[in-house]
Amino acid sequence: MVPGQMAKNPPFRRVLIANRGEIALRVVRGLRELGIESVAVHSDVDARCAHVLHADHAVPLGGNTATESYLDVQKVLAAAKASDAEAIHPGYGFLSENAGFARAVRDAGLVFVGPNPEAMDRLGGKKTAREEAIAAGVPVIPGIEHDDGDASLVAAAQQLGLPVMVKASAGGGGRGMRLVEREQDLADAIAAGRREAKAAFGDDRMIVERLVLPARHVEIQLIGDRHGHVVSLHERECSVQRRNQKVLEESPSAVVDEALRQRMGDCAVALAKRVGYDNAGTAEFLLDDQGRFYFLEVNARLQVEHPVTELVTGVDLVHLQIHVAAGGKLADALAGVDLRPRGHAIEARICAESPEAGYMPAAGQLRLVKEPEGPGIRVDSGVYTGWEVPQYYDSLLAKLIVWAPDRATACARLSQALRETAYLGIPTNVDFLRRIVDDTAFRCSRLRTDMLKLRPELAEGPKEPPEDLALAAAVLCQAVAPRGGAAAPAGGGAALGQDPSLVWQELAGFRLFEGKR
Amino acid sequence: MKLHREYLRDGKAVPVSAEHVEGDRWRVRVGPATHEFRAQLLGDGGVRLAPVGEEFDRSFVAYGAPAGKDYMVRVNGRTHTLAAPVSQRGSGAAAADGTIRAPMTGTVLDVLCAPGDTVAADQTLVVLSAMKMEHKLAAGVAGVVQAVAAKKGVIVDQGAALVVVERAPAVG
Repeated sequence: MVPGQMAKNPPFRRVLIANRGEIALRVVRGLRELGIESVAVHSDVDARCAHVLHADHAVPLGGNTATESYLDVQKVLAAAKASDAEAIHPGYGFLSENAGFARAVRDAGLVFVGPNPEAMDRLGGKKTAREEAIAAGVPVIPGIEHDDGDASLVAAAQQLGLPVMVKASAGGGGRGMRLVEREQDLADAIAAGRREAKAAFGDDRMIVERLVLPARHVEIQLIGDRHGHVVSLHERECSVQRRNQKVLEESPSAVVDEALRQRMGDCAVALAKRVGYDNAGTAEFLLDDQGRFYFLEVNARLQVEHPVTELVTGVDLVHLQIHVAAGGKLADALAGVDLRPRGHAIEARICAESPEAGYMPAAGQLRLVKEPEGPGIRVDSGVYTGWEVPQYYDSLLAKLIVWAPDRATACARLSQALRETAYLGIPTNVDFLRRIVDDTAFRCSRLRTDMLKLRPELAEGPKEPPEDLALAAAVLCQAVAPRGGAAAPAGGGAALGQDPSLVWQELAGFRLFEGKR
Repeated sequence: MKLHREYLRDGKAVPVSAEHVEGDRWRVRVGPATHEFRAQLLGDGGVRLAPVGEEFDRSFVAYGAPAGKDYMVRVNGRTHTLAAPVSQRGSGAAAADGTIRAPMTGTVLDVLCAPGDTVAADQTLVVLSAMKMEHKLAAGVAGVVQAVAAKKGVIVDQGAALVVVERAPAVG
């Protein structure tokens, strides 16, 4: 297999990771397994972020906002030069799907651990991706991708039948998308969409697609090499989402059988081959209640939810990314490997946000972090006790991924793992995640992309006041634990709202357990 | 050795105390109720609570930590953020007193009002950027803007007053 072979003869001596937090740390680990040194980069506020502490080398980028740090192409390239890195792994988000960055990396004589920029260009916009999919014989959502002015879009919408989605031609992800349910709202939606698209992408053209609902979100993980070979690593289902942000992801999907898996995989591979795709990527689809699937877009990067695929297929996607980026063949890396999915994996995204308070995100110090352990439990975390979560980046703290032989056991395992998870000091969505996992609809895999919108009580949580046990636990934690009920924070006590010395005063003269058990 | 706290439950202040009995045994009073626990500090910062008597029928591992002026405790699979009755809660974008406070630490993206402006209750007066998201803040009361402390581009702390609106006299 790859790691053994590659560790003996690593294709790179040193790789820079142009990202932060959990994904940067996950790549550090993958590189170390291959015998490759890692170079972290960081903003000022991230100087003690987990990925920086774990990497072999660290280069400060300066600045705090993403624009003045992780998104600054020149700073990242300068850091790669200064640290003698031979390749750059972009992680997800930030510069990962920026074809201009991929070109700049190549022009600087370095290797970009991701798809070539030409393939990225062909899949980058909604319109171009849709055209490539049609040409590759991949089913797309009924709609039109040619914008001949407002009248043509209105006519298309009428012909498709409302409701429709109006999307920016150049857009990606959830940006520049609008749902239109009534004919009289079409003109306004198109005008607003054009303004937004013009500002965001410098291109005000729009496409119109029929709304597919109810639908499930099913995506295919792909990996390609530079020799024209592309392999499907099967589906992930990510139907539990809010405003196009995924909350829980799993593999395999309970509603995808072997025949459908084969057909979706073939479509995704055909599209990837058509555009010369040569690294890890994901083709996203909507699956309707008749079992028909429609292409949405390709995410030209390693995805947040890649661990579920790793757990059911046994491959390490970061190892494979490095292997193919160095010009290696998939046929060599995967020779003799049985890629059929085994068992069931589910990922929960742990975020610093409060679903109970309208999903308000939170920044601030984590005073106590307790991550779960046990059989079949994987935690990809980017935080630790004492870490101050900055306000500048997204709210993902860690990912909890479980594996079990079947879906029912995986659900039970995830619920139990969430039960023993604690991130205290700022609000998180841990309780929310557990409410979803314990919900009958989730347990029965009755999933749809709008389920969180239809079931607001899952976000709101129980209304009952805290039981006596909770109040008792609060005082006992403070009475028994050192320094005000949390392990001593690494970041110093100055930021505390509550002076920990007060507890010491109250405890003066008291020794824990007086030498007894 | 006795530790006293007071927490809000259902809007009412509940006195809570832990009194050391002997060894790892503690007597805990929650309002009028008394419970007895064995409490052991674990290596990961958790505290194992084993009830003595009949009030609870099994043991729990609890994790607790301060969160600003509140105390967060996670036990029995639920997280509780317990507020002391006296604590001044800075959260909530639209306090009913007409003062907009930053619901979290963030950067002021835009200030859409000036002193003297007449504004509606739900009118966006400040746009705050935090955790890659935009938050539109309104005063929650209709009236006249008295003061604007928010400046575009400036980082503000959670709870910081951004705009003060004086409530318009009720009509009719």
